[in-house]
Amino acid sequence: MEPVIEVKSLRKTYKKRKTKELIQAVSDVTFSVNRGEIVGLLGPNGAGKTTTIKMICGLLIPDSGTITINGQNNQKKRLKSLRHISAVLEGNRNLYWRLTVRENLEYFAGNRGESKKDVANRIDELLVKFHLKDKEKELVNRLSRGMQQKLAIAVAMLAESDVILLDEPTLGLDVETGYEVRELLREIVQEYDRTIIISTHDMDVVQDLCDRTIIVNKGKIVTDDKVENLLRLFEVRSYTISLSALLSEKQQILLDQKFPDYKYTPDTIGSKLEIDLAKSEEIYDLFDILKMNMTPVESIDRGTINFEQIFMKIVKGEQQNVLVQSS
Amino acid sequence: MSWFNLLKANLRKEYLEMKRYLPNTIAMVLTFYILFIGMFFGIQIIGDPTTQDINIQFTIVNYIFWFFAMMTVNAIGWQITNEAMRGTLEQLSMSPMGIWKIMLMRLIASTVINFIMIIALLYLSMFTSGQWLNIDVGTILPILILTIISMFGLGFIIAGLSIILKQVQAFLQILQFILAGLTFVPLSVAPFLAFFPFVKGVDLVRAVMIEGVTFTQIPMVDFLILGFNAIFYFVIGLLFFFYCERFAMNKGLLAHY
Repeated sequence: MEPVIEVKSLRKTYKKRKTKELIQAVSDVTFSVNRGEIVGLLGPNGAGKTTTIKMICGLLIPDSGTITINGQNNQKKRLKSLRHISAVLEGNRNLYWRLTVRENLEYFAGNRGESKKDVANRIDELLVKFHLKDKEKELVNRLSRGMQQKLAIAVAMLAESDVILLDEPTLGLDVETGYEVRELLREIVQEYDRTIIISTHDMDVVQDLCDRTIIVNKGKIVTDDKVENLLRLFEVRSYTISLSALLSEKQQILLDQKFPDYKYTPDTIGSKLEIDLAKSEEIYDLFDILKMNMTPVESIDRGTINFEQIFMKIVKGEQQNVLVQSS
Repeated sequence: MSWFNLLKANLRKEYLEMKRYLPNTIAMVLTFYILFIGMFFGIQIIGDPTTQDINIQFTIVNYIFWFFAMMTVNAIGWQITNEAMRGTLEQLSMSPMGIWKIMLMRLIASTVINFIMIIALLYLSMFTSGQWLNIDVGTILPILILTIISMFGLGFIIAGLSIILKQVQAFLQILQFILAGLTFVPLSVAPFLAFFPFVKGVDLVRAVMIEGVTFTQIPMVDFLILGFNAIFYFVIGLLFFFYCERFAMNKGLLAHY
């Protein structure tokens, strides 16, 4: 696959205004994005997601490292590289609220040097696609937040760039509109063959939409893998075991030593043991401990894990070793 | 062609926003007129009767120019501050045309629209005062174009400052008075001001409109000074704007929210 974006050894440091303390916002970040891919950029607040996005957009100059967009260095050929990308950075704030839906689209097209006439058909198509046709003459400040968000994405689409960067596209949207935006993004990729990078806190967006996720924490990439790989990786090693007897003190000490994060809910009718295994072979150690007292096992359930839990585990560094091995 | 499309888009936006913020536009025109009436009657009541006519004519030209400079130069600063807070400045900065071209087109667009308004206000002022000035378009136009180019240079400096300073509003308030000083003070009082942006232009327009000076009567050196100022301030303004843009991109200042 041909990479559309190549980010190499990116670094950005900020100085805090009051304390003059240096903050490493992005540290040695390297990744690439292939054509037609949807990549999720995940991370807690202050992880460096927005800084990375803004450096790709050419809005922020990195201290070191390079960003290549469609083969063009975005520092050396900034304006040329901007032809290949568009972005929604602040959602509904990226619009002119006193202009109508259509006027906004026309104005942003004009700012890219295109005439109203040239973009008229494209605008009509996008208005239909984004269910905004009946609102085209409405002032933006009279639209709901969801509609404003859709319009902001439509503006980015109008540019016909190869890559669209979206910073928190579902932030502040209700469940229904959030779902609608996700569906729209899915259609954009399928129908228009665009490459999308989404920076988000919304795990549903990542799980639903993204082919690949890059998790950043404290300015560094913690993991870069396919969403399905991460789900599989964590799912197979998370177990809930129902026991029809209590565990002895000795068994609990051994579990503590072997699986320090295990969760035990004792009950005379049916105890529950929740355990995450670092390696699949560890299940034999678990059986050995249970076998000691011939503890009766009622059932073993493979844990279902959602992306939010995976994210928390990765960011907390609980699964660092596993990830290193998996990569 | 892309330049022309850029200009058209910005002209349309300026016009639409002026229309949508109609109460603001009306308030601005009314403020202008009320202040003018105040000055006009002030001169009539307490001014020297022997120089009354000439004083009123001076007031009209100076006041119109001050208003024009304020709307062109100051407005770009307010616009950028608003855009940075709104979040649209980052979108503009991502245009492959380059933000400086967008700003230039904004300046041209707002100048064209303000100019139409200024012409109406000029005739309203002349009608109110009964003082009809010499509107020699052929002579005024070249002076005005060169003067406006130097104003754009100043506009770029203000635009650059507005990008990097979050609290530029206080400076913009002060700037109104600096612009008043530059337009109201005659060159005979401070000849060195000829090399300040647009001062020479205002002086020449005063000479044409009040004293009836014609194109051929204006010394070549005055046009050279005008031309020098236009190029100098435009280039300085643009370079300063590039510097501010780069500074803002280094420090992450394109969004003020």
